[in-house]
Amino acid sequence: MTDPTEETAADDLVLEYELDAPPSRVWRAISIPAFREQWLPDAALADGAPLPARGDGEIRYRLRDDEPPFLESVVTFQVRPNAEGGSTLRIIHALPAPWRATAVAANDDTPCLMRAA
Amino acid sequence: MVENDIFKALADPTRRAIFEKLAAGRMNASALRDGLDISQPAMSQHLAVLRNAGLVREEREGRFMNYEVDPDGLALIARWLAKYRAWWPARIDALKALLKDMDQ
Repeated sequence: MTDPTEETAADDLVLEYELDAPPSRVWRAISIPAFREQWLPDAALADGAPLPARGDGEIRYRLRDDEPPFLESVVTFQVRPNAEGGSTLRIIHALPAPWRATAVAANDDTPCLMRAA
Repeated sequence: MVENDIFKALADPTRRAIFEKLAAGRMNASALRDGLDISQPAMSQHLAVLRNAGLVREEREGRFMNYEVDPDGLALIARWLAKYRAWWPARIDALKALLKDMDQ
């Protein structure tokens, strides 16, 4: 049932959107707190400050579920230009840690590649 | 499909085999090892990972420990996935509105 073309972790919720706005504006909407709050409210986050970046063109936040058991999870936003002068926004929302442990097996710091069985 | 996501979370093929065996019904560790080329300590480790992930639970019965799929764990994962799968599109609608405003 595994999909060998899947390029992200097996346990991530991955969503991709095409936006009309250029990457620079999308980037500001995601990274500047006053803008970010308007579409991704503080109430949904464990911490309004982003996690340390792992690379260019991405920003990560820690989310906290608003209902018990209030599980925390990490979401990564990746912004890149698309062919129409707009942006492709990729949202990679990882399962909360307790479940994530199942998927990444023993090598717990390499969550980004799925080993196709 | 939420069920598909749950199974995808079981990326390790051995654990997946264990989990699917348990999906058929509760059993003890030695019954679980039948037909699987796996040592007893390795089985214990895999079961511990599944248990810590909230997918499997254990119950002592006399001298044996029985294992079964934890229905609460599955329900929780399914609920979490369903919630955020519906939540993100609404957030993106709000983001698009904001991006339009920023254009002024």
